[in-house]
Amino acid sequence: MTQQILIIDDDDGIREVIQAWLEVSGEWEVLSAASGLEGIAIAKASQPDAILLDMVMPDLDGLATFERLQADPGTATIPTILLTAQADVSQQQQLLDLGCAGIIAKPFRGQDLTNQIKVILSG
Amino acid sequence: MKALLVEDDEALAELLEAALTSQHYQVDRATDGPSGWELAASFEYDLILLDVMLPQLGGIRFCQQLRAQGDRTPILLMTAQDSTTQKVTGLDAGADDYVIKPFETEELLARIRALLRRGNPTSSPVLEWENLRLDPSICEVTCNGQPLRLSAKAYELLELFLRNPHRIFSPSALIEHLWAFEEIPLENTVRTHIKLLRQQLKRAKAGDMIETIYGLGYRLKTTEATNETPTTTEAENKTPITTATANKPPTTAATPDNVSAPQPGPTVAPNQSPKSPNMTAIWQRSKAKYLNRILILEQIVVSLQDGPDDPVLRQQAQQEVHTLKGSLGSFGFTHASHICQQIEQMLRAQASFSQTQIESLSQLISTLRQDLEQPPGSSLAPSTSETGMVPLNSHLLIVADNAQWVEKLTAEAMNWGMQARCMNDLATVKAEIAHTHPDAILLDLSWSDSAENGLELLAEVAIAHPSIPVVILTAQASLANRVRVARLGGQAFLHKPVSPARILAAITQALQHAHPPEAKLMIVDDDAQLLDFLRTLLGPWGFQLTLLNDPQQFWQTLEQCIPDLLILDIEMPELSGIDLCQVVRQAPSWSDLPILFMSSHTDIETIQQVFTVGADDYVNKPILGPELIARILNRLERARILHKLAKIKGRLT
Repeated sequence: MTQQILIIDDDDGIREVIQAWLEVSGEWEVLSAASGLEGIAIAKASQPDAILLDMVMPDLDGLATFERLQADPGTATIPTILLTAQADVSQQQQLLDLGCAGIIAKPFRGQDLTNQIKVILSG
Repeated sequence: MKALLVEDDEALAELLEAALTSQHYQVDRATDGPSGWELAASFEYDLILLDVMLPQLGGIRFCQQLRAQGDRTPILLMTAQDSTTQKVTGLDAGADDYVIKPFETEELLARIRALLRRGNPTSSPVLEWENLRLDPSICEVTCNGQPLRLSAKAYELLELFLRNPHRIFSPSALIEHLWAFEEIPLENTVRTHIKLLRQQLKRAKAGDMIETIYGLGYRLKTTEATNETPTTTEAENKTPITTATANKPPTTAATPDNVSAPQPGPTVAPNQSPKSPNMTAIWQRSKAKYLNRILILEQIVVSLQDGPDDPVLRQQAQQEVHTLKGSLGSFGFTHASHICQQIEQMLRAQASFSQTQIESLSQLISTLRQDLEQPPGSSLAPSTSETGMVPLNSHLLIVADNAQWVEKLTAEAMNWGMQARCMNDLATVKAEIAHTHPDAILLDLSWSDSAENGLELLAEVAIAHPSIPVVILTAQASLANRVRVARLGGQAFLHKPVSPARILAAITQALQHAHPPEAKLMIVDDDAQLLDFLRTLLGPWGFQLTLLNDPQQFWQTLEQCIPDLLILDIEMPELSGIDLCQVVRQAPSWSDLPILFMSSHTDIETIQQVFTVGADDYVNKPILGPELIARILNRLERARILHKLAKIKGRLT
């Protein structure tokens, strides 16, 4: 069955790129949000199967958004994958320790994106 | 569709099972929580019907546990308690719907149908594919308005494919969905049922809507594809629309198990999968915004030049360039992404900028602009760290002294395709690095009495062997320490305690940075499904793939792609792989190109002929993944050695 995934990223271009790759794979239906607050609202209302969350955003950044998602019982169980351009492994580990489902490094290769998401969500 | 029914009231369970079976659902039954849990954990269900009051493990807890494991199977809770609190608790625990006992079976079945639709928000209660309709509420299939008689299994298969239009089902996945636990058949039986379904559909002129995906399984054809590929008997004789199908031998279309895949066109550009979105169009829409970010960056650099350093501006510049790095790379601008990384590093590292540094920043930004004038994916830089591959049997040098821990790590390294050696004497370590030139070094700073020894070694390696990535392990994760390691050139910094797997992940990443993919493979085969399969197989290895299914375009593609290895199918219409190989070998500039053949012919004459025309290697079809990869890597490695030798000879003469 097609699963629903919510992309939270302030960068319109990258949202569109991710959406295009996920939709073309045929396995995902994509919801998208341009800010942390919008993302939280959509996550609550639509209960997507997974969330892709960008770390660097103005106002409510990825970390703060993730904390709010975790604190709310209505969204706490939705697996959340963090998108980060931070390549440092030890910093990535700190992010993993927060309890996110996984991390995808930017830039990503579109061809690999769906597989990475699948692997993370199945692990 | 397969449902799991967990209900301790046996009479009710029997009634429900009968109702579900009448709708062609397969039902597995459990009478208590734990046995239900065991089934849910072992098999994939389309739906779980769960009683709230269950012995040992209650329905609410069951739900919570399942959701905590990330399992999103739709759950319908059944309870005798009609209270709002109960409902809320149930839904909060992750159930998707709720029915109060006693209930009408009709209502239950309707709710189930609604739940099954929910996974696919666009689907209407009736499932449709071109002129075919399947109405799950009355279990009726019609084609052009005429009722279609299908066997029970054929109906179930059809419903499953229609409900999951994009999913590829392997025979074992079909078994999981369509056969109950106690009647699991052999995979051959599944194939037979697929054949029967195809025959029944064909008889009704519904067309062959089930597509065989080579090596993977079956899937519903997309409707666009069937427009391109005629499927009905009379249409088979017409001229097919795409070149791809035109080049197919006629036998392919006639075999039901070898249905032609949807084709976008005869050639596939390097790194472009036929299932790639139109990146250029998205780029055109977004380009202005990214150029604007670059403009902001430029202005900041100008202000750095004119006035005193402004930390707020610098912070903003860092953020802009950080976003650009991630976004541009994901659009396919790998070189631009690298430039952003350089700029980011400069902005981070420098407290103040000299005139020269500002000039080089401006220079980088202007290169960045130029890069973005090219279409995405046409980056001049050959590769990026993110697309890198880790060579097999990488040699890892571990500098540490905790023997027991090292032993564990060495064992884990094997699982990651690395061969690890451990040393703990500074002189030996230095000699080892100089002589064997390991692919990566893991340096435990606590290995000697003083961390200074480790840092000194790190500095030496960074200067003498800058290409060897060094991963640092330490118990002291202070910022000062991290900064020192980074300045000395450490690739990654890990804080103890850390699991062997985490360490090897860091090393793998460091290796990817150090070993960008060098290999470009060009594969020519008229079988589009096989090409698809090869893309899936070889993609994760980081090769740049150029897949061609029209041999007529061979030369042009070869010259565009300039591959490191050519893989050819023997039997192709009009131009065979042997013809192509001969042509390549006649051209002096391509005489060194390694060529690997694939064929289902195993007779000695063919094999001899292949080698006579200049092939380097040969693999049998059906392609076995590990064998093909091993042969490709072997060929590439050999070509690399020959290339090196030629260079050395060139220098000597």
